[in-house]
Amino acid sequence: MELLEPDILLQLLIGGLLAGALYALLACGLNLVFGVMRVINLAHAELMLIGAFGSYVLYAAFGIHPLISLFLIVPVMFVAGYYFQRVLIERVVGRPMLDSLLATYGVAIILINIGLLVFTADFKSVPVLQGSFAIGDIPISEPRAVAGLISVALTVGVYLFLERTRLGKAIRAVSEHAQVASICGIDVRKIRMLAFGLASAMAAAAGVMLSVIYSFWPGSGIDFIQKCFAIIIIGGMGNFVGAFYGGVLLGVVESFVGAFVSTQWGEAMAYLLLVAVLLIRPTGLKGAARA
Amino acid sequence: MPSIANGLRSNGAWAGAALVAAAAVAPLALNEYYQSFLLQVFLVIALAQAWNLISGMTGYVSFGHSAFFGLGAYAGALFLTWGFPWWLAVFHGAVVAAVLSLPLGMLTLRLRGPYFAIAMLGLNEIGRIVATLWVDLTNGGSGITLAPSLLPSLEMEYFTTLMLALGATLLVAFIHRNRFGLELRAIREDEEAAEMVGVNTTLNKVVAFVLSAVIPGAVGAVSVMYTSFINPNSAFAHTRNVEMIVVVLFGGSGTVWGPIVGAAIIMILREMLWAEFPEVHLALLGVLLVVVVLYLPGGIVSLARRDRRRRPDIAKAGETPP
Repeated sequence: MELLEPDILLQLLIGGLLAGALYALLACGLNLVFGVMRVINLAHAELMLIGAFGSYVLYAAFGIHPLISLFLIVPVMFVAGYYFQRVLIERVVGRPMLDSLLATYGVAIILINIGLLVFTADFKSVPVLQGSFAIGDIPISEPRAVAGLISVALTVGVYLFLERTRLGKAIRAVSEHAQVASICGIDVRKIRMLAFGLASAMAAAAGVMLSVIYSFWPGSGIDFIQKCFAIIIIGGMGNFVGAFYGGVLLGVVESFVGAFVSTQWGEAMAYLLLVAVLLIRPTGLKGAARA
Repeated sequence: MPSIANGLRSNGAWAGAALVAAAAVAPLALNEYYQSFLLQVFLVIALAQAWNLISGMTGYVSFGHSAFFGLGAYAGALFLTWGFPWWLAVFHGAVVAAVLSLPLGMLTLRLRGPYFAIAMLGLNEIGRIVATLWVDLTNGGSGITLAPSLLPSLEMEYFTTLMLALGATLLVAFIHRNRFGLELRAIREDEEAAEMVGVNTTLNKVVAFVLSAVIPGAVGAVSVMYTSFINPNSAFAHTRNVEMIVVVLFGGSGTVWGPIVGAAIIMILREMLWAEFPEVHLALLGVLLVVVVLYLPGGIVSLARRDRRRRPDIAKAGETPP
């Protein structure tokens, strides 16, 4: 019963919000790609793990702090994603959605197994931030606070980019209606490359943040892609802001279910929510009519 | 090539009968290594045909069929330890998979193409979590080791898997030719149009789904007897999905021969080239999947067809983006 004390509840809420911020950063990237090109990237969580392992390698080999490697990994992954779109994803754009599911599934399998070859199946972590601090009576874990706040900052940054800049406006225009955008003189192909680069960078940033708070191995992606799907179905497929709220919501639900029932059930919540939402609204909760 | 292909097609039944006859007498001539190898090829053929039945024919891509394998494997292991004869344990593996797939199919098949795929993706994980947590029944992560005295001989396992591969193939061939198969393909091409001309799409999809779950159920049960050990990770292995999907797409999805050809080529390659490195094997399967989706949507079998330009079979259930 001591779980019901207000301090504990508040602690669970904050923990959930911070974890949810990381999910949100990851899911917003996935939704950005879906919005712009109607491609469901099953390898999105593996892009995240590239960020996580990048952070691990830079720390283990050169002692570079993850918050610094963030500035190295994110630009590299932006460029990588930009060209990856050009080489591969562009070929499945406009084809039936299952083609893109299967092709990106193939990419995920390739990345996972290269990861296993290079890093083996052992769990890795980057234990730089440890300890906790207190706000009032509520203890907050330091790595989670840092990861959560940076995730929020990055997501808000990308949101402002999409809302306030000409380029962001072009991305949103393609997301609304690719053909009309093209008629208006927007280079749709370039925009798609930009969007995939941006999504890869966001995924990698989420990966660096992940490396600070969790341990991970090359097969960790499946848990996260599952969470992402739950989030974007709840928030509306292709809806950037919806994915943010969906991510935060999932983080909080997991936190409470994990504390009151069991951690395994907390982990299973993503799937149960996903299935529940799909069954009530077979096309997702909102904004999914055009999906 | 076309003439050979047509010859093969018109004589497909004869070619099949000859293959089965050869496989049936093969144990007389082969040592245990080759028997084991063929047994695994048969297992993969049966699994691939099961996936072909739901995903190849209806276009509803399942990323979670390994869950039915896991269910069947646990059912087989448990019924064996409870004193049932091995063949009855295999039968129960199929029954358990069927019983659970019915409500599951009725729920998930309401979802269209991509949403169904997303919903199925987590199924295998859920199976693994349940098998790990339900310690009283499954002995949790430590798994169950089957006593050798309970197990059938290698020859028996060989013939059982051969029968499963044959049965699954005949089922696909039979469905391919009758009205049910036609209706499934109509769903794949255009579900709404199929509905409008009076196809009971829900019933068809659910029947195909249950049939496609029964086969992995039985295969899982035999497989656990072959390996004589089971734990949550070996039963609910995500790599099994990869194998099913790649074998079918590589061979030619929605066709009778595709999964057989795909299984034979991929298993031989695995055995000869990269048996030592499972990660390399899987990574190359990933490469194969990407290449096939991009450049050879009809699979190997379509190379031998005259109408190879026509984009056949897989991936029509999703909507085309604007």
